[in-house]
Amino acid sequence: MSESVFEFLFKYRPAIFQRGELTFATPNLPTVILCATAVIVIAVLTYSRGGWKTRLGDRLVLGAARLVILGLVLFALLRPTLIVSASVPQRNLVGVLIDDSRSMRIADVDGKPRSSVATRLFGAQDSALFAKLSERFGVRVFRFSRDAERVASASELTFAGRRTEIATALEHAVQALGDAPVAGIVLLTDGGDNSAARITDSLLALKARRIPVFTVGVGEEHLNRDVEISRVELPRSVLLGSSLLFNVLVTQRGFSGDRVKLQVEDGGRIVATEDVTLGEDGATTPVRLRVSASEPGPRRFRFRIAPLKSEQITQNNDREALVVVRDEREKILYVEGEPRFEIKYLRRAVAGDSNLQVVGFIRTAKDKFLRLDVDDAEELAAGFPKTREELFKYRGIILGSMEASFFTHDQLRMLADFVGERGGGLLMLGGAHAFAEGGYGGTPLGNVLPVMLPVSTDSDSADAAPVELSVTPTDAARSHAATQIGATERESADRWKTLPPLSTVNRIGRLKPGATSLLTGSTGSAGSRQVVLAHQRYGRGKAIALAVQDSWFWQMHADIPVDDMTHETFWRQMLRWLVSDVSEPVSIVAEGGEVAPGETVHLLAEVRDSAYLRVNGGEVVARVTAPSGTPIDVPLRWTVERDGEYRGSFLAEEEGAYSVRAELKIGDTGTALSDTAFVPVAESQAEFFDAAMRAPLLQRIARETGGRFYRPDDVGRLPEDLSLSQSGATVLEQKELWDMPAIFLLLSALVGAEWGYRRYRRLA
Amino acid sequence: MMRKLTFLAFALATAVNHASAQRRFERPPVDAENIPYDGRFTFVRIKFTPLSGSQWGDVKWNHDYPRGERNFTRILSEVGTLKPHLTASNILTLDDPELFKYPIAYLCEPGFWTLTEKEARGLGDYLKKGGFLIVDDFVGNHWMNFAARMNEALPDARLVQLDSSHAIFDSFFHIESLDFDHPNFGVKAEFWGIFEDNDPKKRLMVIVNYNNDIGDYWEWSDTGFIPIQISNEAYKLGVNYVIYGMTR
Repeated sequence: MSESVFEFLFKYRPAIFQRGELTFATPNLPTVILCATAVIVIAVLTYSRGGWKTRLGDRLVLGAARLVILGLVLFALLRPTLIVSASVPQRNLVGVLIDDSRSMRIADVDGKPRSSVATRLFGAQDSALFAKLSERFGVRVFRFSRDAERVASASELTFAGRRTEIATALEHAVQALGDAPVAGIVLLTDGGDNSAARITDSLLALKARRIPVFTVGVGEEHLNRDVEISRVELPRSVLLGSSLLFNVLVTQRGFSGDRVKLQVEDGGRIVATEDVTLGEDGATTPVRLRVSASEPGPRRFRFRIAPLKSEQITQNNDREALVVVRDEREKILYVEGEPRFEIKYLRRAVAGDSNLQVVGFIRTAKDKFLRLDVDDAEELAAGFPKTREELFKYRGIILGSMEASFFTHDQLRMLADFVGERGGGLLMLGGAHAFAEGGYGGTPLGNVLPVMLPVSTDSDSADAAPVELSVTPTDAARSHAATQIGATERESADRWKTLPPLSTVNRIGRLKPGATSLLTGSTGSAGSRQVVLAHQRYGRGKAIALAVQDSWFWQMHADIPVDDMTHETFWRQMLRWLVSDVSEPVSIVAEGGEVAPGETVHLLAEVRDSAYLRVNGGEVVARVTAPSGTPIDVPLRWTVERDGEYRGSFLAEEEGAYSVRAELKIGDTGTALSDTAFVPVAESQAEFFDAAMRAPLLQRIARETGGRFYRPDDVGRLPEDLSLSQSGATVLEQKELWDMPAIFLLLSALVGAEWGYRRYRRLA
Repeated sequence: MMRKLTFLAFALATAVNHASAQRRFERPPVDAENIPYDGRFTFVRIKFTPLSGSQWGDVKWNHDYPRGERNFTRILSEVGTLKPHLTASNILTLDDPELFKYPIAYLCEPGFWTLTEKEARGLGDYLKKGGFLIVDDFVGNHWMNFAARMNEALPDARLVQLDSSHAIFDSFFHIESLDFDHPNFGVKAEFWGIFEDNDPKKRLMVIVNYNNDIGDYWEWSDTGFIPIQISNEAYKLGVNYVIYGMTR
């Protein structure tokens, strides 16, 4: 039943019934009940006594109708009344918050911009809604985007704000209204909140003060004609020369089936293009693009789809993303329990890669080790590292066929911490003494690995015959940098089909929850599949399992041409991935999303010592360099809430990339520096992404605070709903119900029905 | 480690001294079946058609087979962590695709070595992809035939004489001196090699025991015909070659 029909029948709107309390206002309630009971008893006795010529069925129908009629009359005589709490006129304030951000310029309200609704309702004090509210409340109008400020009316708004921060705006309004009685807050917005702040905290504060928020959503919930690059997934940093894999998500409405060209630019130069066939309305079309990270430093990639005809928003066809291309030599420790061809070919595969250094530590006899590519005679001279400082110098570790019992428990714990706390990459290779066969089940490393390991294994399983596996990539591998072994996605897929099978001697269990399988292997045509390559995040780092013993077949096999680079490509990608995003003891990031000139950059640093133990209360400074080269030192303070966490902020006044390094002072002269983080500062287009009106968010705000959600066409009811607010200075109002049209209509209908029945049965 | 090697070689020698003496001039069977690839180290001997064919059943490539590899793999197993096949080894031709599953191969008597076109291409591919060839058991002007055959397989390759500073002589045992004598002819051994891209800083693809026969030392190390100390040096060379070939 629509609200207007309800109001016609029951005199008041459903909201009043929900908020009110039903009572009966007749002064002589016992007398009325007594009289009514007497009438009903007489009626019942009259209808039930014998001697009537009518049938029992007719008497029952007529009796029931008469009783209902009498009941309704009795109900009306009792003077039913709703007791409703209502605002005391002119004793309460109402805060009106109007979205002043750029998304309000989007023209999707009958061809007019969203801002036209704000202007129509609150453009001047004599505007429709403004005037009605002013009759009963003191109205305070605020504009808001990133922050909020008081204005006289919506006519002062420019709709140029770069952000919409609803939580901040609500907090500001509540503060500005002070201790005065507040009937409620009206929030007029498209709901396009793009702040990092959690709105839940603000809503809890409003609930605590019992201030309802009445939200007015402007704009369409679904744009009719729009293409948007809704997200770009890419790594934060890669090594120079790596393949950079972008996963671009394109959404659209109104252009289903159309073909568009997606371009990637690096410094104005087009580095990749892809023809995209747009999917169903509202569906996301993933597009994978690959470019080579061929120049070091911060690279700002721009993803662009040319505006289409009659598109409602063109600003969201363009998105930028920053990747730091690092030209550094990453050190990886490869531990092997016996001389194996796997280490030979792996080292050869990456030998020409100046950004990778694989240090070999091969047990050639009991207590005898062959060390390869060490920096100096001291490195690993005393055996496998015994301290965290020594082990954590490496950024990645490869464990070959080395049994768990080779390590002490402390070393196994240290290896687990290498991944979990240091954030390094750990790769375990298949072999007779790896995984469960190496006794890793039940050890600290067993927890780190992405696959389940049985705690114990058969005594002879290490010597079990190998199983041949034909390796195929999973769906997840299609968008993973490590498994791209061809120049294009298609070439890569084709190459996987032609690679010779490998072999394994390891029994690999199920994937752990949260782990991802990239390669699987099958035995024969109808053989069962088993995990070949899988990975998972573990703490700050990543753990990878490659459960085959002879990936060198992809180099050496008779079917592989001499100049084939598949094996080299596979291992270079694999090891670059292994050491990607590995953190330094001191790290720093800028919190929040995009930053526009004039906005504050909030820095968050994690500070650890060389053993990666968190440092509290240290002297930490962020060395910031502005795009113009101006240095800025920002002191960072320990947050106290979390060990090793420091925060600080600075004002970014220039457009361009700010570089930031955190510096921890050690002793009198020493320092520990973080990697350089880059903060791009540019005019934000965030307002134009995901720009449809977000009704669910606005409904939630209203629901959780006791307010109501409106669209522009039903916002006329807002003053009445606000007047029934239980917040602020209120008074109880009585609303009589005896004269509800519904009672009269029902009485008429019943009397008419009784008369009709008598005529039909020839009783009258 | 040195003492262990000496002891093992001595034990091997005294245990089978008598029986071995009778076998000295017997030619071993060469039709044993190959074992399938299973990931473990398998000694691979290269088979070829000898120059001027088989003489009195002597096909040249089978010299010291199988006792040479059996004794050697036993020593290899005892001194280190490598777990090679001890009771079996493989014999493959250079044009056999199976060869590519075994990146270390042993070739003896290259003075009688012949190559078909397919074998030459097979050897070239094998070495370029990462294979490692141990050439043994030849003296004097046999060099001419060996060098000519290598030139067929790797036309641009240069043979370079090695000294003891090369990493192959320090991959497991530290071999300070290369002062070896041939077991039968008394000439001084020379060690030659072919490097990847002819660059001595890169991987050694072929190690050549010229004027030497370490396979002979391996074969007869358990008979007492050869002083244990000399056999030890031959084992040390073999172990170093394998460890180098498996890791570089």
